[in-house]
Amino acid sequence: MADRIILTIGTKKGVFVADAAKPRRSFALRGPFGPGIPVYSTLIDTRGTPRLYASSCNPFFGMKVLRSTDMGKSFTETKSAPAFPKDDGRALVNIWGLEAGGDKKDLWCGVEPASLFRSLDGGDSWDLVAGISNHDHARKWQPGNGGLCMHTIIRDGNRVHLGISTGGHYLSEDGGETFRASNQGVGAGFAPDPYPEFGQCVHKIARHDDAPGRLYMQNHGGWADWTGPGGPRPDIGVLRSDDYGHSWRSIAKGLPSDFGFPIVVHPHDADTVYVMPLEPATRSCPDGAPAVWRSENGGESWSRLARGLPRKQSYFTVLRDAMDIDRLKSPALYFGTTTGQLWIGREGGEQWDCLFDSLPQIYNVKVAVV
Amino acid sequence: MGPAPTITIHVPGPLRTYCAGAAQLSISAHTVRAALEDLQLSQSALYRNVCDETGTVRRHLNVFVNSDNVRDLNGVDTTLAPGDVVTILPAVSGG
Repeated sequence: MADRIILTIGTKKGVFVADAAKPRRSFALRGPFGPGIPVYSTLIDTRGTPRLYASSCNPFFGMKVLRSTDMGKSFTETKSAPAFPKDDGRALVNIWGLEAGGDKKDLWCGVEPASLFRSLDGGDSWDLVAGISNHDHARKWQPGNGGLCMHTIIRDGNRVHLGISTGGHYLSEDGGETFRASNQGVGAGFAPDPYPEFGQCVHKIARHDDAPGRLYMQNHGGWADWTGPGGPRPDIGVLRSDDYGHSWRSIAKGLPSDFGFPIVVHPHDADTVYVMPLEPATRSCPDGAPAVWRSENGGESWSRLARGLPRKQSYFTVLRDAMDIDRLKSPALYFGTTTGQLWIGREGGEQWDCLFDSLPQIYNVKVAVV
Repeated sequence: MGPAPTITIHVPGPLRTYCAGAAQLSISAHTVRAALEDLQLSQSALYRNVCDETGTVRRHLNVFVNSDNVRDLNGVDTTLAPGDVVTILPAVSGG
């Protein structure tokens, strides 16, 4: 079968699936699956026969994980969803991250309240990962505006990077057995201490296989003008690490705002990274003019990509997991908005077109070539 | 305490898929708590939709005994009488 581009679109009212042939001229849309139920996380698992996963977090009836083995033509519930042990005292509120593990049926799942679960059978049963879920810091983390969520899970051999809002960046170097806060250089704007050991509001972390040790982070910025205890803390929002996340430095200079949610790395160039700067008050692009910003030198400088996007009066937000990039030779970026548009940025974001303009509020966009 | 009264649990439409399509379940229980414990054993998939992992009725669900919300009675310790109908409903609000 010829390569196809497949998109999973997690929304406030279920998950949609869109696919297209390689030229990406037009996408066919299916769904919603799990209709009416918010979907904050999806996964296109391309190990072996492709499987699609979606969280389905029903505020009335609890958490489910949906699975499709027919490329998103249908979804069924897995046999169980992550759940805390009864004597733990915590109860699942949402599922924020689904990521593929090492073996074909190995899945990792980040949830709210911030904790990590793992399944070794493709999502039919789940175990709490105690090293982070019962970490000494865990009961001290605080919810951000979106809740106390573990949203980012990045595996790199024996290393596991986790992003928690608000908890910060946690690193395991023993395959996920133990974790430690690893936030040197990661600022916090909502505490008197601008550089606490943990408790930062990390929004998203990204890495590239070709750049060992390098990570990019979109942190909760927007604190340049703070005049309270601890003083202003400019440029804490967009960061880079070159030592596997042990320390971080700002790469926010040149951006119109250091606040934003997603951060995405080009699939073929580890120096090319994309963010979407937002005004912290409205969480929309400066001047109501949406733009993705790209650096082609690892964050040393930035350029604005907006051809085809609205030029004014556009006040949507692009949430932390609502931007992704495909892996074709000339890759396309995709982002979904809180006002229900799905945009494609062809040629690495040079030219933008709206694929769908009236979906429900979009929380999550993932893309794969299958 | 005598034999547990037989009561009826009315299952809302979205949850019937978790109990083989049944709209009503007939069980014997002295209290709402006992009824939920019965569900945990006899209809575990349904139970997981009604109670979270701590055993608490999910925040956005209401449980009624006949026409009274158990919140206005004695919570899950509300006692049941023969023929009572326990209804589980999403707490729909808004305009």
